[in-house]
Amino acid sequence: MNLKKLLLNGRVLLLILVIIGSILTILAQGITYGLDISGGVEITVQLEKPVDQSTMEEVRISLENRLNTLGVKDITLEPWGDQIIKIRVANVTEEEANSIIDTINRQGVFYAEFNGVIFATGADIKRVDQVSYDPREGAWIVPFSISKEAAEKFAQLALGKVGYPVDIFLDPPVNSTLIVSEEIYTIMNSNEFQFVPDAKPLPQRLKEAFNIGIIPYTNQSVEEIAKLAQGKEKVILIGVNGELESSLKNLGIKVEKREPRAGETADEFIRRILGLYGPYRLQEGLTTGEPHTELAISIGGSKEDIAAMRQAQVVSVVLRSGSLPVKVFVEGVNYIPPTLGEQFRKQVVQAGIAALIVVGLIVYLHYRKAKIAIPVVLTSLSEAIAILGVAALIRWNLDLPSIAGIIAAIGTGVDQQIVITDELLGGKRKEKITKRSGILKRMGRAFFVIWASATTTIVAMSFLFKFFVGGLRGFAFTTILGVLIGILITRPAYAEIAKVLLSEER
Amino acid sequence: MLENVLKKLATADPKKMITYPLIVFLAALLVLAVHFPTLGTDLKGGVVITIYGVDANAKDIESLLKAENFKVTVREIKSITGDTRVEIRASTDVNVQRIIELLKSKYPNAAISQTQFGPSLSRTAQEQSLKAISLAFLGMAVVVFLFFRVPVPSLTVIFSALSDMTIALALMSISGLELTQATIAALLMLIGYSVDSNILLTTKLLRRKEESVEEAYLSAVSTGFTMSTTTLGALASLWIISQAEVIDMIAAVLIFGLLADFMNTWILNAGVLKWYIQRGEKK
Repeated sequence: MNLKKLLLNGRVLLLILVIIGSILTILAQGITYGLDISGGVEITVQLEKPVDQSTMEEVRISLENRLNTLGVKDITLEPWGDQIIKIRVANVTEEEANSIIDTINRQGVFYAEFNGVIFATGADIKRVDQVSYDPREGAWIVPFSISKEAAEKFAQLALGKVGYPVDIFLDPPVNSTLIVSEEIYTIMNSNEFQFVPDAKPLPQRLKEAFNIGIIPYTNQSVEEIAKLAQGKEKVILIGVNGELESSLKNLGIKVEKREPRAGETADEFIRRILGLYGPYRLQEGLTTGEPHTELAISIGGSKEDIAAMRQAQVVSVVLRSGSLPVKVFVEGVNYIPPTLGEQFRKQVVQAGIAALIVVGLIVYLHYRKAKIAIPVVLTSLSEAIAILGVAALIRWNLDLPSIAGIIAAIGTGVDQQIVITDELLGGKRKEKITKRSGILKRMGRAFFVIWASATTTIVAMSFLFKFFVGGLRGFAFTTILGVLIGILITRPAYAEIAKVLLSEER
Repeated sequence: MLENVLKKLATADPKKMITYPLIVFLAALLVLAVHFPTLGTDLKGGVVITIYGVDANAKDIESLLKAENFKVTVREIKSITGDTRVEIRASTDVNVQRIIELLKSKYPNAAISQTQFGPSLSRTAQEQSLKAISLAFLGMAVVVFLFFRVPVPSLTVIFSALSDMTIALALMSISGLELTQATIAALLMLIGYSVDSNILLTTKLLRRKEESVEEAYLSAVSTGFTMSTTTLGALASLWIISQAEVIDMIAAVLIFGLLADFMNTWILNAGVLKWYIQRGEKK
């Protein structure tokens, strides 16, 4: 047996070293799993327009600060190109994932408004303290402080106005005309948004503070509405059906249409469109004319009321938000519960083992030689280990597509080993390999096929790798890696091993 | 039996060999013209909520959600291993959190995953996919030409890859698999798989010195069949055991493509090459 000679062969030695190195790396570094395996949420955030690198960084930091206030661990934010930020949060529950999405959606330009006057903007918020529960009030409290100027302005405005509504807004549709259904109009003017009869109703407050015109839709003609829209940035149709949208568009007016989401109540819908938080009832202590820089917003509910607590957290984040240089939107969400990911991983490992066994069996049935089947399976196994080793080394996020890529790469790997074996065995299997030059020629032919197919796979996959923002870069990455490891390390080593094993047949 | 078929193929008239795969290719085109695979959520935009691990029933869930006026489509997917998952699809403007709350209250032990793709993200994904596919195909064509430097065999290999992808797409359409980023990746992977068996055949037939065309063909077939069966075996294990949708879809498309490749390599490409060699020998 030429075992010693075989082990000292350069190519085989290289393979052995790579495997040992890979195993050590995997043990030392561990494998980083993607979210579809570890469980968690991946959120794709899109910026309103493409931005330069420093703006992108600003947006990233600002989003990060905001998300950190939610108290969730392990948030990574990664800019992709000039318009997308990918946010990954490992191991979160459904509720946590949703509040992260809410928070990203609810940020932007901040205003605090009272009785039709803006008294503070994002720049006036000086500090926001921890959300806490106050058992005396039976409410969740968001304490914050505002600038002296804002406090003085507010003190004057609020003098003697106990119980009046205080509104805070994030990204209200400033300078626009809202055409609303009569039902929505009635709710906007109801006690829900006004609290006391003396206070200005919501539509009036919006008009005075933001130049937002609220018009109930009573089948006005397109021309009439167009007139109302003059000098405004846009018209927003709210709960209004019909062909108004396209007729207004034809007149060159910027129109947006909003409809309630399924399951959304009318007042939730109104708040969402206006970017309105509150209104909050003005407490007596603030109506004396004395300026107070320390304020608090309280949200009624019991200590166990998760919804109230979440709402308080959202308000706290909103207060903290300052303003982002560009608006951002949540464009994509991918949530996998942690238990499910674990299950997927087990299945994939089982599938991988089953695949190796099946491949081994088929190879054995074809050649009727364990001498071939075992090296083929071991080589494939070592290829998988090497891919995992490299992935661990560069801390590649191993997600499900990456694992599918490993199995696909092993598929091509086995194919190529079969090409080598068949070339070595010759056209007719019984034929003996006699001349050394014969072997070289056959190997040349086998490696021509291997190189050609490897090159095409790499070329095809590199386009996938380059152009996809989506999750499939992992598939492309592991496939390319597998093919490269295959042609550079495992295939040459297998050829050496096969040469020795098969020449012993003589 | 297989051996007889192969022997027949090895001596068959090249023109006949070429005809059948071409008919299948045209039929695939026809299928695609009538019904192109539907675009998946990641390319079309929308919301998918999937419930795993409970004995959920599509009809119950549908009536539960329709009672609250959600516009959804619900379907049940049973895997070979007996696990069921239920998929709820809707457009992006639904209140996803409310749906999940409803599902949680009905199935407290369920694992629920959700995916949302907004319109601009899915548009980007569409553009990227188109770009990736066309460039990958072009790249493959250039590489094949560089390796062979002879027009007819190269074109056949390229056409064969195209036909593999087309037939796989048609089979996707028939079996109701959607065109998603995952299936597009798998279609691209087919380029690699398709090329290796075709290159094997082409090198064997064109570079054979010591054998006749028939012998070279039979020896290539023997190698090629082993290659494809091992790959099919590996993919089938993946498809059967895993419950993750991405993996199932990738495996299914690769299986479709490999089946098409059997025909395209060993009948179509072999036919063209035999015809090409015969013509060369006559000259």
